[in-house]
Order: sequence, then C-alpha cells, then structure tokens
Amino acid sequence: MADVLIVGYGNCLRSDDGVGVRAAEEMLRVGPAEGTEILVCQQLMPEFAESISHVGMVLFIDASRVGTPGEIGYTLVKPQHPDLLFAHQLTPQTLLSLCGDLYGVYPQAFEISLCGECFELGDKLSPKVAVALPYLVEVATGMLPRGQTRGRSFD
Amino acid sequence: MKRIIIDPVTRIEGHAKVTIKLDDNGRVASTEFHVTQVRGFEKFTEGRPFYEMPGITSRICGICPISHQLASSKACDAIMAVNIPPAAKKLRELVHYAQIVQSHALSFFYLSSPDLLLGMDSDVASRNVLGVIAAHPEMARDGIELRKFGLQIIEGLGQGRVHPSWIVPGGVASPLLGPVRDRIFSDLPSAKAIADRTLRFFKNAIDNYKDEIEYFGSAPTMHAGLVDRKGNLQFYDGELRFRSPSGEIIENGIAAEDYANWIGEASLRDSYLKAPYFKPQGFPEGTYRVGPLARINVADQCGTPQADAEFAEFHQRFGSPAHSAFLYHYARLIEIVYALEKVELLLADPQILEKHVRATGGVNSLEGVGMIEAPRGTLIHHYKVNEEGGITWANLIVATGHNNLAIGRSIQQVSEHYIDGNKLQEGMLNRVSAVVRAYDPCLSCSTHAIGEIALRIRLVDANGELCDEVATP
Repeated sequence: MADVLIVGYGNCLRSDDGVGVRAAEEMLRVGPAEGTEILVCQQLMPEFAESISHVGMVLFIDASRVGTPGEIGYTLVKPQHPDLLFAHQLTPQTLLSLCGDLYGVYPQAFEISLCGECFELGDKLSPKVAVALPYLVEVATGMLPRGQTRGRSFD
Repeated sequence: MKRIIIDPVTRIEGHAKVTIKLDDNGRVASTEFHVTQVRGFEKFTEGRPFYEMPGITSRICGICPISHQLASSKACDAIMAVNIPPAAKKLRELVHYAQIVQSHALSFFYLSSPDLLLGMDSDVASRNVLGVIAAHPEMARDGIELRKFGLQIIEGLGQGRVHPSWIVPGGVASPLLGPVRDRIFSDLPSAKAIADRTLRFFKNAIDNYKDEIEYFGSAPTMHAGLVDRKGNLQFYDGELRFRSPSGEIIENGIAAEDYANWIGEASLRDSYLKAPYFKPQGFPEGTYRVGPLARINVADQCGTPQADAEFAEFHQRFGSPAHSAFLYHYARLIEIVYALEKVELLLADPQILEKHVRATGGVNSLEGVGMIEAPRGTLIHHYKVNEEGGITWANLIVATGHNNLAIGRSIQQVSEHYIDGNKLQEGMLNRVSAVVRAYDPCLSCSTHAIGEIALRIRLVDANGELCDEVATP
C-alpha cells in the first residue's frame, strides 16, 4: 500500500486542461518516490475515495483557469460538502469529504495547479504552459521522498 | 389546461424534458418525453476508415464505451469476414460483464438508491447520493466497491478505465496476463458478497413499493433481447427474440444482419430520440422494451446457478412476463449476480490466457452489423463501406432508443396516477423522474448528447400556456 497518492487529472484533448495528466505521466516516466502511487485519469471519480482512504497524503495535480498562464498554484485541500453531488463534478474537496464520510478518515491533501491559457479542442499545450510543465513536475516531485513508484493510468 | 415541465430530469445520463398537459380539472390529459440534444455520430463518421469506428463510437458514452466498442468491433469483424480467436471472444465477454457490473452498480447505487433508500417523498435537498452516504454509508461503500471491481477489470484488460483501445476489429489488442486474472479472482468473492447483500436488501424492501410497482410503467408491452439457442440470457452473442405482452414468443432467432427486417425507426416531432418499433405491428403499436427487465422476460432462464434461482423467484413473485418498469431495478440486480458468475466461469477457463487474440483481414464484405446486449438493452451498429474500407453509411440503434415509446407511456401512466395539478408537490414530480430513471436511460448514447446532466418538467394549461416549470440541477 502506498503512503502517498498522486492524482494527475484532466482532459488531454482540451489543450492545457491536460497538464495535470502530462505532469503525472512525466513523474511516472522518471520514477519518483518509494511508497508513492500515481493515478493518471481524465476526471475524479467516487471510487477514488476508497483509494485515498488508505494513504497518508494525496497530491492532486490539475490545470487552473485562475491566475496568469504558466503560473503554478499550491493549496491545502480541506474536505468540503458540496451542495449537490454528481459523479461528473467531483473536486478534490468533495472527494476528500466523500472519503471522510464513507471511511471515517481522510489524508492530508494538497493541490498543485498550473494556470492554463487555452482550453479549446486540441492535444497540444500552449507555449507558456509547455514551458512551465517541467517546473510543475519539479514542484510536485519536491514534495515526495525519492525512490521507486508504482503507476496506474485510468483514462 | 395547465402544463407541467420537468426540465431537467435528474440522475439520468444525458438531457431530457417531460411535458405534462393538464385538463381544466387539473387532471393529466397527456404527456410528452423530449430528448433535447443531438450529436450526429452516424453522419460525421462517414468517410472514416471502418477500423476507426470502435474508437470513435466508444466516445458516444463515458459509462458504456465498452458496449459501443464491442458492437462496433463485431460490425467490423463482419466487414473483414473473420472469425475471431476463441480466447478473444472470451476476453470480449469478460470485459463486457465487467461493464455490466459497473454500469448497473452506477444506476442502482448512485442514481436510483436515493429514491429507494431515502424515499420518493423525502426532502429533495438530501435526496441524492450525499444523503445516501449520510444515512446508509454501508450501502454507499458497497456501491463504490462494486463499481470499482468492474472498472478494475476493464482497466486490467484494456489499460484504461473509460475509453480503452483494447477491443479491436478481429479480436482484442493483447492477451490477459496471469497476474491480472489472479487479481480479479481474488477480488471476486467480495464483489459477489455485495451483489448478494444488495439483492437481499432489495427483495426485503420491495414490499414498500407496491404502489410504484403497480403504477410505474406497468402497462403491458412486448419485450426484446438476445438469447442463445437454449433460451439462455445472452449479452455478447445470441439472436434477438421478441416476446408478446402475454408472454408468447413472437419472433425468435433474428440474426444481427436481419434486424432491419423486424425493427423500424420512427422520428418524433418533439424529440431528437428516434422511436424504434417492431415492424410487423407498425408504429406505434409495435412498442417494445429492452434492457434488464426485458432480458429477464425474454429469456427462458439465465444459465448460471444463482442467477437462475433468482430468475425463478422473480417470476414467481411478479409473473412472466413482469411488466412494471419499477422491476428494472430488481432485474438489474439479478443481472449483476449473473455477470459475476460469468466472470468467474470465464476466469476459470484456461483458454482465456491463450496468446492468440486477434484475427486480421481487409475489406471482404461491404456491409457489417454488430449486435450485443449493452447494460441498458440491445445495441446495434450497422456500417456500409466502400472497397477501400471507408464508411459510406452508418446506423446505430441504442438501447434507450428502443425504450423511447415505452418510457413515454410509463410517464403517462405515472403522471395520471400521481399528478394532481391543483396541488402540485415535489414528490409527485419525483415519481415522474423516477420512472424515467428506472429505465436507466442513456440519452447521451441514444441521441449520440453533449452538455450537462438534466431533466425538466413543464406544466401547460388547456390553452397551451406555460403555468409551471420544475428544473432540477
């Protein structure tokens, strides 16, 4: 069982929206920390609540629409009950809340985001985001102990 | 006359709107079920190479992409005129049953359980999956675990949960690995225990829903579904059977390539969703239903021990055929039991680990049809190609389409029984939505939908003026 779970998510066919996926894939390729598991997926799903209930820390990597394109943001994630919930609209906050409600525990959680510029149809990152991607990976990796990783890709 | 508009209908996949017209006395005069979006896959795939179709059409739906890949690949197999390797067929079946489990779990636990566990008239603010989590966390955990089980099989085979590119024309892209089989095997007992527990819960609770069973789309219709030569339930292979409202077999042994001789498609004025009908009886008299309830009605037995016992109990309690759309939930749970039994049988078959899993070939036929039972019912992909293999024409008949006319009739029946236009209450309107949910329609699939999840109810008076509208997020 991993100690840390990294969830890189987004839609790679919506240009910069896929930057979280690309960062997680890069971390998989390089092979980061011992005891770290990486999930690569298009969107957060309720089933992830069970997975995150087993780890001590979860790190969400996503694109953001807030800020200056290429800017990296970092926030502590707290569980938050949504007003309404449907599987299509899970956020790290609601997923954490779901985890706590169902399993009685939730891990420490952080979200690292990179502000995108273009979210239109397309499979390429915009230039500013492409330049910032290595820094995103560096920030995420810097949070983890070095070693081996086990990765899974959920598209 | 008044008009009630439910827009959007919630906890379904896709967009829909229901219009209920009331007479001067506030009683229901008529109802309409509108599906409000179009996607046009049949048209924009024209010109694409046929072998791209499984990948393109799987994007119709994020819930049952496997079904589209399977039906599409079977149509492509027919164009290539190949018999796929035995291991490939078994692997396709395995991933199909995994999808049946995860899709049925989504329908029952995520979408319908708020009505069943919290009550049709419970506070709308908490009548959602959050309310279920608060009141019945053990049931919510079961739902998550069961869905995860199905998704992990799909992931293990296809290297992707939602849109794997593993099912291909001629078979599958890669064989099953021993460790993956062993992992699925080890998770199976827990999944079966959840299925048993949930079915037991539902059977005990069903007496609380006598009114819904009586009035939720209980008007008799024909039923259609795939069966094998012995009359067993079939999901991947088999031939189409129609059973009359009174239970006689009307047509049997309809092969995929003959579907058009028996199924016609009518266009409706107020909906993008076509209305298939049984051709010999014409439109709209040829209304029939597909999906879990229809399959349980059409088959003579399931073909696995535990599901057969549940099948017998179901018909003992509710007759054969059973007509209430509320019983779709019950049938769905029986099918989960069946699918898990089939997963076990397939995994125990040594042939499933064979390495030869793909046949190759070019264009050997200019036309191909693939027909399977998707979670929501019979799914048909029909393609025509040119000699270079480019798609020249495509027709998709999706499960929810088959049920279009029946859903409309069920809305009418529920509205007539529950709606009093003089004192409109949310619980009444919820029952209208709930009967739609019982069918577990996937409108994204059936219109090939884009946009948000939604259903809407409109109240229209005798003069056609809009009096009230309920839009649920």
